[in-house]
Amino acid sequence: MGYKITKKENLSAIDFFMEVEAPHIAKSWKPGQFVVLIPDEKGERVPMSVYYAKDGKIGMFIRRHGVTTLKLWHEFHVGDEILSITGPLGKPIEVKHYGNVVFAADAVCAQAEAYATLKAMKEAGNYTIAIHSFENKANTYPEEYLAKPVADEFYITTEDGSVGRKGHYLDILKELIEQDKVDIVFAGGKLGSLKKLAELTRPYGIPTIVTVRQIMVDGTGMCGSCRVLYDGEIKFACRDGPMMDAHKIDWDDAIKRNARFAEQEKLAREIYLAKLREKGVI
Amino acid sequence: MAGPKLIKERVPTPEVPVEERIKSFVEVNLGYDFVSAVKEAERCLQCNPAPCIQGCPVHINIPGFIKALRENAESPEEAVKNALRIIWDDNTLPAITGRVCPQEEQCEAPCVMGKAGEPINIGKLERFVADYARKHGIEKELLKEFTSTENGVKGKVAVVGSGPAGLTCAGELAKMGYKVTIFEALHKPGGVLVYGIPEFRLPKEILDREIAKLKELGVEIKLDHIVGKTVTLEELLEEYDAVFIGTGAGTPKLLNIPGILLDRIYTANEFLTRINLMKAYKFPEYDEPISIGKKTIVIGAGNTAMDAARSALRMGSEVTIAYRRGREDMTARIEEIKHAEEEGVKFEFFLNPVEFIGDENGKVKAVKFEKMRPLEERDAKGKRKIVGTGEYITLEADTVIIAIGLEPNKIISEEATGLKTNPDGTLVVDENLMTSIPGVFAGGDAIRGEATVILAMGDGKKAAKAIDEYIQKKRLPA
Ligand SMILES: Cc1cc2nc3c(=O)[nH]c(=O)nc-3n(C[C@H](O)[C@H](O)[C@H](O)COP(=O)(O)OP(=O)(O)OC[C@H]3O[C@@H](n4cnc5c(N)ncnc54)[C@H](O)[C@@H]3O)c2cc1C
Ligand SMILES: Cc1cc2nc3c(=O)[nH]c(=O)nc-3n(C[C@H](O)[C@H](O)[C@H](O)COP(=O)(O)OP(=O)(O)OC[C@H]3O[C@@H](n4cnc5c(N)ncnc54)[C@H](O)[C@@H]3O)c2cc1C
Ligand code: SF4
Ligand code: FES
Repeated sequence: MGYKITKKENLSAIDFFMEVEAPHIAKSWKPGQFVVLIPDEKGERVPMSVYYAKDGKIGMFIRRHGVTTLKLWHEFHVGDEILSITGPLGKPIEVKHYGNVVFAADAVCAQAEAYATLKAMKEAGNYTIAIHSFENKANTYPEEYLAKPVADEFYITTEDGSVGRKGHYLDILKELIEQDKVDIVFAGGKLGSLKKLAELTRPYGIPTIVTVRQIMVDGTGMCGSCRVLYDGEIKFACRDGPMMDAHKIDWDDAIKRNARFAEQEKLAREIYLAKLREKGVI
Repeated sequence: MAGPKLIKERVPTPEVPVEERIKSFVEVNLGYDFVSAVKEAERCLQCNPAPCIQGCPVHINIPGFIKALRENAESPEEAVKNALRIIWDDNTLPAITGRVCPQEEQCEAPCVMGKAGEPINIGKLERFVADYARKHGIEKELLKEFTSTENGVKGKVAVVGSGPAGLTCAGELAKMGYKVTIFEALHKPGGVLVYGIPEFRLPKEILDREIAKLKELGVEIKLDHIVGKTVTLEELLEEYDAVFIGTGAGTPKLLNIPGILLDRIYTANEFLTRINLMKAYKFPEYDEPISIGKKTIVIGAGNTAMDAARSALRMGSEVTIAYRRGREDMTARIEEIKHAEEEGVKFEFFLNPVEFIGDENGKVKAVKFEKMRPLEERDAKGKRKIVGTGEYITLEADTVIIAIGLEPNKIISEEATGLKTNPDGTLVVDENLMTSIPGVFAGGDAIRGEATVILAMGDGKKAAKAIDEYIQKKRLPA
């Protein structure tokens, strides 16, 4: 029993798109929720955001990071099956009329969430603003994968200015806030940016709801791996999140916890890459 | 009555030597062979009434199966088949309960032989019957006897969770002729048996066999399905005649003390899941990582704590179990405590953690404890109350595992608002194990908080009967 890969496309120098048959998830998924997938028998459980869920299929953006994601890129092709995909997990975001809604994204997970979130927000009558940030031209996605069709206002930034505006979503957001154009911010991607984002919006009292990425195992609240300090209390990012109030998260701790297995992951990645080289795959 | 045959000592079961077993996850106890099992069975006095039956939460006919075993000593196959038939009447997972039940508190506690010497080794006999039957194809034959020919005709039942409660309920209903579908959140069935209890106590092949048995009975298992998220309880009720909830107590309790977010502080669930379910002990052959240092402190004193401690030991760490009460209040099975001690796990009592201390990289490096003192007064569970002494001690540790208990998850109860829960998160059920929603039954840790495998199975079985009655009554013309 597996779940068939129905589409796979390269998005950029580091990210790719993958669509998997998962009718059990597709019919109940809502924006804000994620899935957990396992490539094969020896694989680990990794959380992934959902770009879309439709016609019994789930679309995801994946960054070639370590063993799991490299494996998915190099060894799994259209027609192959992955071992497991579970979901939807976590709490959906609250879709209602807020006024001007921003979605800010600077890494895969949030690029996926941007489209789904803003689509729902637009349907709920909001004015929608998308900001997609990338490091440089090579990392930028083809435009059809971005939130342009559902955004009333749309920005791309790159750090080196090679595409769109030079800078980061934080820069654009600052301008928008100064123009009094922001009622609520949704964001995701790099935890370091989210920490800065929390500090940016806090003085203005702008509600800021972001993906709290933490290392997960089950994704259902069973293991406590994803625990974070939230308003002084322990919460589980998978069960109580993953999108949570950025102003209540202890970001320094969250950032540290997300690097827990860096040594092991590096080792595993090296062994895996050596294997690929041996086989002549890379 | 104490005739010449009264043998005070148990026939021992061989164990893998300590030096060998601490290097791997192979099963520690090797169990009986037929000759030694019969020898042990011959010690049984065949009491009537038999207190062992009363001591067993599901009232297995213990003297009955023991008698069957020794009566046919010339034909092992026949003997085991008869014994297994008797056990299966009350317990369909004897290979598991024979290994994990706290027999010393249950059937073996009141055993009459225990007054004269050592109680009959009921657990190991049960395990022997199950293992022998599996190895020799006896189980398969017997399964046919128990299988209903009318599979699916009596109705359709959904079972949520594939721990011992769910597995038992599903098996019983399938035997009665229901079409049963199990919905399991994880990618492997078994509940705590697969993600919590390590291989050195319960080899995975044994669990695999139990699951295969269910499939032979026609039970369908839908993995990766979370009821309350992937499908709702309401949707299940539309499609099925009844639902059984066996979702266990899978949410770890945490210590809300400074330093809880430091690296290498694990809950027992995370630690054991990484190791058992995801095989992190085989990293990097398997992708799941785990990070364990040289000195581990495990906090708690139940089976979970022992399992975590012995797993950490096998991963090459020195291990100390720190418990806030005394030795006599430890809740783990005696055999696990014994094995842990033999293997070199150290124990510290009357220490209550108050702070985790980290190094400059955010990794834990020590645990600060308050020393506790026992009082004469006892709490509701009969344990001596403890108070802080105001004295503190700091123990070095670069890995900490918290094993202080679990509570039920709220995935279903949060979504299905009609489902009533108690303040501790357990589901409210009536004497037939029916929840506040008609047609929805529940059992195991989901209604008891943390309990045991055999109690979960007992609930599964009881609920199966109640579900059968409920569905049949519904079918009757008004
Ligand atoms: C709610 C949520 C949504 C996510 N969505 C996406 C997404 O849409 N696309 C995407 O590419 N990534 C996403 N991630 C991150 C993704 O799960 C990790 O990048 C992935 O597990 C890396 O696995 P690896 O073996 O390839 O790399 P590794 O070398 O194992 O890890 C690289 C880094 O990923 C993180 N990581 C590793 N294991 C886990 C884990 N089990 N859970 C969470 N983080 C982990 C760590 O920070 C680690 O340093 C999401 C994470 C969360 C929590
Ligand atoms: C480490 C450890 C060691 C133990 N050792 C012993 C021992 O030696 N002896 C003993 O008797 N007892 C022991 N116990 C206790 C025993 O394991 C439990 O009492 C028993 O497993 C409870 O069974 P259950 O079927 O109620 O739930 P569980 O075994 O917890 O199974 C519940 C299942 O339901 C699934 N689930 C949860 N929510 C959902 C949902 N919404 N949708 C779908 N699926 C869901 C879970 O993934 C899980 O598979 C131990 C427990 C632990 C944690
Ligand atoms: S109490 Fe002990 S001796 Fe008596 S029947 Fe039970 S197992 Fe045999
Ligand atoms: S991932 Fe296990 S509790 Fe969140």
